[in-house]
Amino acid sequence: MNTIKRAGWLLLGSMLWNAAYALDLGQDLRKALQEQVQKKAEERPGAAANVLSGLVGVSQENEIAIGRQIAGNLLGASPLVKDAKLQKYVNNVGRWVAAQSERPELPWHFGVIESNDINAFAAPGGYIFVTRGLYAQLQNEAELAGVLAHEIGHVIRQHHLKILQQSSLMELGSQALAKGVGDNEKAQKLIGSGAEVAARSLDKKAEFEADRIAVVLATRAGYDAFAFPEVLQQIGHVSKDDDRVSLLFKTHPHPDERLEKLSDAMGGRFDQIKGQSLQKRFYVLPKR
Amino acid sequence: MRTVLLGMLLLAAQAVWAAETGTALKAETLRAKPFADAKAVASLAAGAKVSILKKDGGWLQVKSGKSTGWVRMLSIRKGEARKAGSDTAGLLNLASGRAGTGKVVATTGVRGLNEEELKAAKFDEKEVEKAESYATSGADAQRFASQGKLKTRQFDYLPQP
Repeated sequence: MNTIKRAGWLLLGSMLWNAAYALDLGQDLRKALQEQVQKKAEERPGAAANVLSGLVGVSQENEIAIGRQIAGNLLGASPLVKDAKLQKYVNNVGRWVAAQSERPELPWHFGVIESNDINAFAAPGGYIFVTRGLYAQLQNEAELAGVLAHEIGHVIRQHHLKILQQSSLMELGSQALAKGVGDNEKAQKLIGSGAEVAARSLDKKAEFEADRIAVVLATRAGYDAFAFPEVLQQIGHVSKDDDRVSLLFKTHPHPDERLEKLSDAMGGRFDQIKGQSLQKRFYVLPKR
Repeated sequence: MRTVLLGMLLLAAQAVWAAETGTALKAETLRAKPFADAKAVASLAAGAKVSILKKDGGWLQVKSGKSTGWVRMLSIRKGEARKAGSDTAGLLNLASGRAGTGKVVATTGVRGLNEEELKAAKFDEKEVEKAESYATSGADAQRFASQGKLKTRQFDYLPQP
């Protein structure tokens, strides 16, 4: 994909999101926006390249402040499952997997939230949440590690942050944040409304990349590399008419496509590796 | 006599239930053992139906037609193919008189998180603090890994194929 086109895509994405009614934008409006954005990118190719290479990057402190705000919004919609053992367990697994990444020093936080949806969310700075619905689908610790590793992949490659960086609000936000990191109101201005950014569609490529990272981080951590693909198999079986997966399927490529891509990337590289699944240690959710 | 017959029917039904099936996602080679360089025993066409017999690491032993062999797990999609699946659902609906009534039972009473809800979400400081209180330190994660006998290994990131 050429640089300008990609910049256009990302910019369009963030403009759509800036508009409060982003998801219902008509085709005509979409087209008009696209043209406008492309024209701008063509006028100032240097600016687009800058943005892409992350030169206008945010400091880690700001990244965490932004992520915390998104996490708080998400928890406002779906609180944590009231089960301290579960939350601690998920943090143990997640932190161990994150320690195998190139950003082990981030203040990683993991949690299971109260929702029957089958989904997981990542916010910048290392805030990661799995829904009760997804957790209930998991069979062992290696599967949990794989799911968390996919989200860790989004965080370390800054997939969501990059989308935020494209937004026109970014400049305003940086100015605001420069005056006081962690100020909720200012971070809120930057991320726009609610927690939608944590669930929003990323480039398909970003999803495939996070899938590849997931199997690698799980492997590095000593887990069975094939546990994550097993989860994709499971999710692929849920009917697309099922409300529990409507948001997931809307924002991610279908699990079949993900499995196919992952299979090509893994090839025979994992043939000799025997990781653990730790089914016995897996914390099973008590029945409600 | 009737009881025996019923018992046999039940057993038969269970046997059918137990066999896990799958579909080849792409053309593949069935091998004698779960290794890439093991002897090829048959070829598997994309979309071929298989029954899954065994699992070993990233490999599955499958039966397709008259051939049995090992194939990489990721080349097989477990369960029926997507299209076939919905057709079956249609037939089931027809059989149970549910055809034409729209969504099937599985979705009843299950409400999902949607974009509107996420957009309208209000920041909850207490809940974030609670989430943060469960954080695990690097040292604790290390201990947790040792308890599970998890051993790290070097492994490079995968290039985009």
